[in-house]
Amino acid sequence: MSNHVTEWLNAYFDGELTGKRLHQVEDHLAECEACQAELDSLQGLSELLQEVPVPEFTAAERFAAQVNLRIPHKRVVISRKRIFEVGWWMIPVGLLALWIFIGTAFALGDILAAAGNLGLLSGISEWLGSGPANAIYLSTTIGQMGLLSGNGLNWAEAAETFTRISLPQFILQVSIAVLYLCWIAIWWARHTHQGHGQLLEG
Amino acid sequence: MDSLTAARMTAIDETELVHRAKNGERNAFSELVCIHAQGVRNVIYRMCGDAQIAEDAAQETFIQAWLHLSSYRPQTSLRNWLYRIAFNAATDMLRKEQRILPNALEDLQLSDPLPGPEAVFSQEERTTLVKKAILSLPDACRAVLVLREYEEMSYHEIAEALDIPLGTVMSRLNYARKLLKERLGRKLLIQMEVDHV
Repeated sequence: MSNHVTEWLNAYFDGELTGKRLHQVEDHLAECEACQAELDSLQGLSELLQEVPVPEFTAAERFAAQVNLRIPHKRVVISRKRIFEVGWWMIPVGLLALWIFIGTAFALGDILAAAGNLGLLSGISEWLGSGPANAIYLSTTIGQMGLLSGNGLNWAEAAETFTRISLPQFILQVSIAVLYLCWIAIWWARHTHQGHGQLLEG
Repeated sequence: MDSLTAARMTAIDETELVHRAKNGERNAFSELVCIHAQGVRNVIYRMCGDAQIAEDAAQETFIQAWLHLSSYRPQTSLRNWLYRIAFNAATDMLRKEQRILPNALEDLQLSDPLPGPEAVFSQEERTTLVKKAILSLPDACRAVLVLREYEEMSYHEIAEALDIPLGTVMSRLNYARKLLKERLGRKLLIQMEVDHV
């Protein structure tokens, strides 16, 4: 039984085999009655299927007229599609703008803080109000309570500074990058899907 | 003019019609509907076995095609693209109709379609049995079978139309034919061979 070509008979019957495989099946069929009978049954089945008629449908012109009455005006579709497309391409632009804004804001904050430390913005610092300068730092409190001192306190202050300032900035930028990568992945998936011959959202 | 030239001319005409339809020309789209109406309705009818459902689903197919025409790429076959929409429309329609089709699947007993060894079927009875057997196939297998047997599409064309791998086309077709042979029974096939002799 292992030499039978049953699994290739359908493809052979449909004329889909070529080359070595075709010769292999032909050679086998010349010798094997069982496979030949199987092939005959495929032929019989195909002829049987052809006996089922299709009904008489309405004339193509009349059908087309009926369809024409039901299809919506193209302009609406186009404009909606255009809005969607514009919105779609605005996503990465928006993300990029957000990233630039956040980066600039943090850079400006750093510059202002540095200038304030150097005493260059003594007048403006009041106008800017309190903020980080007056913020209650947990590490400072712990130091004042005598729970930590020396290197330990320095580490705690550094960790707190990182958590309060650098970490949010890092998380924000990573989030933006992840969103951008998601957008690229969706764009790629859509593009690939269309490449296969498209369809169908509906 | 030979058939190859005629086919090329038709393809060029169709490309031009698609281009015009994409620009919103309804008349061009109507011409495309005329060209493909019969094929689409035939395919859907083979899928659902009901002429009225086939008409309705075919209309839905062309409406969807009109709405999504901008996503159609002329490098691919319009017929295959339409057939894919048609299968989706047919499946949706069958789901809406809850698969209760007149003269179709109810009182279907295909496991033993022959009452006795001496039974001889009339042409009409045989056609009904075959139709019911086709309708009893799983949707995915039936779609492949319809495209191969009735539309005479190649495996590659079927794969493109249904957006499935070539191997899946082969396995579904093998399975569909195996089920049909089991359900229709060898006697019916033999009787048919005898009729032909």
